[in-house]
Amino acid sequence: MKSADNKKRREEALELLNQAENSKLLTNLNACVRCGLCAQSCMYYKALNEPRFIPSAKVDLVSSIYRRYYTVTGKVAPALFGAKSLDQDMEERMVDLLFGACTMCGRCVKHCSIGVDIPFVVRKGREMLAVMDMVPKSLQSTVDAALNTGNNMAIPQEEFVDTIKWMEEELVDEMGDPEARIPLDETDKELFYTLNPREPKFFPLSISAMAKIFYAAGESWTLSSKFYDVTNYGFFNANNGEAAQIAGYLYDEIHKLRGKRLILGECGHGSRAHKWEGPNYLKKGYDFDIITVVELIGEYIRTGKIVLDKTLNSVKHTIHDPCNLVRNGGLVNEIRFIVNRSVSDLIEMSPYGDDNFCCGGGGGSLAMSEYNDRRLKIGKIKADQIAATGAKVVITPCHNCVDQLLQINHTYKLGVTIKTIAEVVADALVIEKRIKD
Amino acid sequence: MALLEIDGRVFDVDGDGFLTDPQIWNNEVAELIAKADGIEGMNDKHWSVIKIIRDNFEQHGNAPMIRKICQETGLKLREIYELFPLGPARGACKIAGLPKPDGCV
Ligand code: SF4
Ligand code: SF4
Repeated sequence: MKSADNKKRREEALELLNQAENSKLLTNLNACVRCGLCAQSCMYYKALNEPRFIPSAKVDLVSSIYRRYYTVTGKVAPALFGAKSLDQDMEERMVDLLFGACTMCGRCVKHCSIGVDIPFVVRKGREMLAVMDMVPKSLQSTVDAALNTGNNMAIPQEEFVDTIKWMEEELVDEMGDPEARIPLDETDKELFYTLNPREPKFFPLSISAMAKIFYAAGESWTLSSKFYDVTNYGFFNANNGEAAQIAGYLYDEIHKLRGKRLILGECGHGSRAHKWEGPNYLKKGYDFDIITVVELIGEYIRTGKIVLDKTLNSVKHTIHDPCNLVRNGGLVNEIRFIVNRSVSDLIEMSPYGDDNFCCGGGGGSLAMSEYNDRRLKIGKIKADQIAATGAKVVITPCHNCVDQLLQINHTYKLGVTIKTIAEVVADALVIEKRIKD
Repeated sequence: MALLEIDGRVFDVDGDGFLTDPQIWNNEVAELIAKADGIEGMNDKHWSVIKIIRDNFEQHGNAPMIRKICQETGLKLREIYELFPLGPARGACKIAGLPKPDGCV
């Protein structure tokens, strides 16, 4: 019975590669010329120095299976053409390398002589593993929490509401304005804002920071008390049905509250999953505007809706570029525009921007305890980059990066503070007291 | 699964260093885990945070919200981050013997 099941699942997995009409997939499975240029671009290979971690080797796992089942030469003479069967050994190697040794950061794509989309192939391999029920347990439990409760930390609604009320009281105190608000479940607002659940659960300073910015801008906005989670770990476990269900939560909620623009909180993969992949998961386009909070803050500064005094942040700052917002999201200049208006001493990492290294916690790896050790080892590359800047504060607009950076900071004794963009902007805000008459 | 050795005692932990069996936890275990994370000697403030987290876990099976920790201990948010440099999850919840919370922590 079990082996019949296994066989059926393997067939389903193989079916995912049987897409003669999918030219993107075929090109990426067939294009690698094994030049090896991508090797040094990958943190895993650089830090751990084993050939199996070279990006092209990860692609080759998937393409060798493709050759075995869908090419004449691979079917007839597999050994000769580097074609491999999908068997238990192969499955284990796929889990270890595609889930455990790739953050899908895309740095290798930039360094590949012909632009093979390595993370795209990695995700295809993950999709195969997902239909075979081989997603690492800790990653799956984060997805399950989101599916079952609407947020990936399973925060009960009442507790979320209590937290927001508590933050609201603090905002009232800090602004000295009894009408300062953190609105919940309000309809017909201009903005529908979203959060990473780790903010209400453990790190709410970024919620206060954003509330202050909205207050200063005089914005019309709301949070939902039930569906506010900006993450979509379905992007990482590669179960497209689950990714669609999670994407649907935000889609339905913004309609219910009749919000006009969906603002993606500071989260790299969540921004990518909702902005670019969401319509594919849901098989329908969005009838509302969707932008990242980075772009929104940029807009506030340009239009003069908020005023900043950068001398309020005068220690040395540096920027960590979240892969999904910068290399894969085009926000390199927008982030610099905001930071340069908010801090007076900025030094870039080397390399920075589109060529920056991943924090090491991307691709869902932060949620996968199974690979904690590896994650901290590759984080050494980021630690060295940070240490070389001499900065006291590292700014990054992604809560997932923040957590990895916190751990790196501790492990490699960097002695820096990690902040989100909303936090540095809020610290530089010049707010006129609203005097009521 | 992994093993964590601190001062000659060996614990079963997950890949992130959280106890596999929360039931073996006691104050002495808490001190050992704290020590392994670089917190030498827990003070009253540390203990007040740990106690609330542990009680919440025993009653509700999960970690409390940071709001509850702040309100019940009277500590400010920033103080808690200073007491536990790895944060409330990877720092305090681990010392309190809880399993690792899901999500980006
Ligand atoms: S996407 Fe990033 S982690 Fe994955 S193989 Fe490429 S460089 Fe390495
Ligand atoms: S750089 Fe591109 S073509 Fe060269 S080995 Fe890597 S993936 Fe293949």
